[in-house]
Amino acid sequence: MKPIAIRSGSAASWAIRLVCAAILVYLAFWIPTSASNGVIDTCITALTLMAAAMALNLLLGYTGQISIGHSAFFGIGAYTTGILVSRYGWSPFQTFAVAFIVAFVVGALVSLPALRIKGVYLALVTLALALVFPQMMKWPKLVWLTGGARGLDNTGFKFTKQNPTYEIFGWNPWGSLRGENVKPFHYWIAMVIVVIVYLACRGVVKSRAGRSLVAIRDNETAAAVMGVNLASTKALAFGLSAALCSLPGCLSAIRTGNVTPDSTNLTVQGSITFLIVMVVGGAGSLWGPIIGSVLFVFITERTGDWSDPDAIPGVLRPFFSWSNTPPGTGIFSIILIVLMFVAPFGIVGMWRRFQARFVTVVPRPAGTGTIVEPVAAPAEA
Amino acid sequence: MELFLQRLFDGLSQGSVYALIALGLVIIYRGTGHLNFAQGEMALFCTYVVYQLGEWGLPIGVSLPIGMLVGFALGAATEVALIRPIAKKSAFAVFIVTIGLFQFLNWLDGAIWSDQPLPNSGVGSVQQSFPSLFPNEPTDFVNVFGAAIKIQSIGVFLLVIVLFGLLYLLFNFTKLGLSMNAVASNPESAKLVGIRTNMVLMTSWGLAAAIGALGGVVFAGINSNVNLSLMFGVFIYASAAATLGGFDSPGGAVLGGLIIGVIENLAAGYAPRWIGQEMKVGVALAVILIVLMVKPSGLFGTAKVERV
Repeated sequence: MKPIAIRSGSAASWAIRLVCAAILVYLAFWIPTSASNGVIDTCITALTLMAAAMALNLLLGYTGQISIGHSAFFGIGAYTTGILVSRYGWSPFQTFAVAFIVAFVVGALVSLPALRIKGVYLALVTLALALVFPQMMKWPKLVWLTGGARGLDNTGFKFTKQNPTYEIFGWNPWGSLRGENVKPFHYWIAMVIVVIVYLACRGVVKSRAGRSLVAIRDNETAAAVMGVNLASTKALAFGLSAALCSLPGCLSAIRTGNVTPDSTNLTVQGSITFLIVMVVGGAGSLWGPIIGSVLFVFITERTGDWSDPDAIPGVLRPFFSWSNTPPGTGIFSIILIVLMFVAPFGIVGMWRRFQARFVTVVPRPAGTGTIVEPVAAPAEA
Repeated sequence: MELFLQRLFDGLSQGSVYALIALGLVIIYRGTGHLNFAQGEMALFCTYVVYQLGEWGLPIGVSLPIGMLVGFALGAATEVALIRPIAKKSAFAVFIVTIGLFQFLNWLDGAIWSDQPLPNSGVGSVQQSFPSLFPNEPTDFVNVFGAAIKIQSIGVFLLVIVLFGLLYLLFNFTKLGLSMNAVASNPESAKLVGIRTNMVLMTSWGLAAAIGALGGVVFAGINSNVNLSLMFGVFIYASAAATLGGFDSPGGAVLGGLIIGVIENLAAGYAPRWIGQEMKVGVALAVILIVLMVKPSGLFGTAKVERV
């Protein structure tokens, strides 16, 4: 069968895009208004992971710099929010900007050694960073700020029975969807963060900066020869990736209401989760981390109570009843290893190959856009 | 002086563990040029196996060799089934597979042996603490210049020295070791002169995992229990050791491990408020960073020449 050809920018292509977007928007509104609290909670977990994995994707998928240290940037977000809210009484919304800036600076600093250190060695350095971060938060010299091993409490929004939601200038957009509950509210914060991170990644990737990132990934020397400034481009990639990764960290502090050095996603395990989620979904594609994290959270939630053999559905029981712990991470790591063999570009790569059999998207031929006459440079006087 | 000697020997025995894991990293790196991120978790799996054999009543003298054999099989199987086919694709794919293996083995340990530290002193457990290779009663001390040094510390240190001696003999005087050297320096030529490269690489991975298993058992002995996060820290110290010594030099790995162990313990001991137990791992980060920035080939490694 010959695949159907759809021209990029044609009516058909826009119709498909619109239908997909409509389904997504419908889902985004359906979850907080109609789903149960448990489902909303799971979705917030997925959205948090999504944002972090997308931020990592910018660095690893597009720039090719391996980082196992993103839990530290996630932690910077969580601790910035935690410290400012619980110690200085800021409103959680204001802390996002501070966390963004702090993480950007730290990320840009990490890029300095990355100018010399390449590949798995960089992975080693960032792995050490991920191990140092929680220890540093327990450091006696910083206990006055970080609260040591006990961490920080009351880092979220303060809700009362009388005032169960948060209002913006007297308007309460969350309550009109469903009030009386903080879960939908946290869900919307998470959704906004994911959209921001997605748009930021998309904006960078489709711009000149994004093309220089990919050039660095594919061949650093050639990129330098072509005029890409390695130092500033890498600093930008590291800084932006770290800053974007801190946003879901802020959310995690707001959501759980406390921050400890051993919270989920703050330890090395968090870094590894971001990494494998991104690779399973598809490194170097905008949709990869989204699909990967949905799959990851689906599997871990679905198998969450499987340490009890009676909870396992009948067919699967003989395979998993021996396990003392939920088999979610095990299943996911097997998927990861298998995917590396059959589809190095993850689920998105697999989907693209599959889709190419039926539908091909013909890119717009060059020169059909609005033609901008080049402005002649004024002659030197 | 007594305190110094005590800290020195504590550092040496911890450093010996780092040296063992680092030796595994180096042997694999020499063979295939990859950094095995699952090295620590492979060792942890074997340590759990040794624990299980102990639960079944085997003495450590019997269960340790079995554990090392299991390690050898695990390492060899990993090379044949996972690393060799994926290495043809890209170095990044190998990295991801070792991370996947790390995650998988850690989960497998938890799934089989639960996520609690073992042996727990509860009912049903035959062992009170993880079996130590050397006498480790509260009375087992040697007096060195007035400092009480644990017999275990000295034993572990000597063990590493002996093991390194054996490896030296292996690499320089046996056919297997010489072919490992040949494959490390030039795989294509090694193949042409009739060395079975695949066999050699498989053996290197097996050997590395077996040495790692020894390191894991020794460390669990020092730690007196085995738990799921036992090897996270050890792995990063071992990588620091391998970086310091040079990624392709076994001697460098041993020396690097010992140096890191001593520095870490002295720093934590003499600067309890600035470094202390919390920021010990910062020493590893600092060593990795400084060595990679200043002399990426390490103390004894061969500098890599890159062609553009």
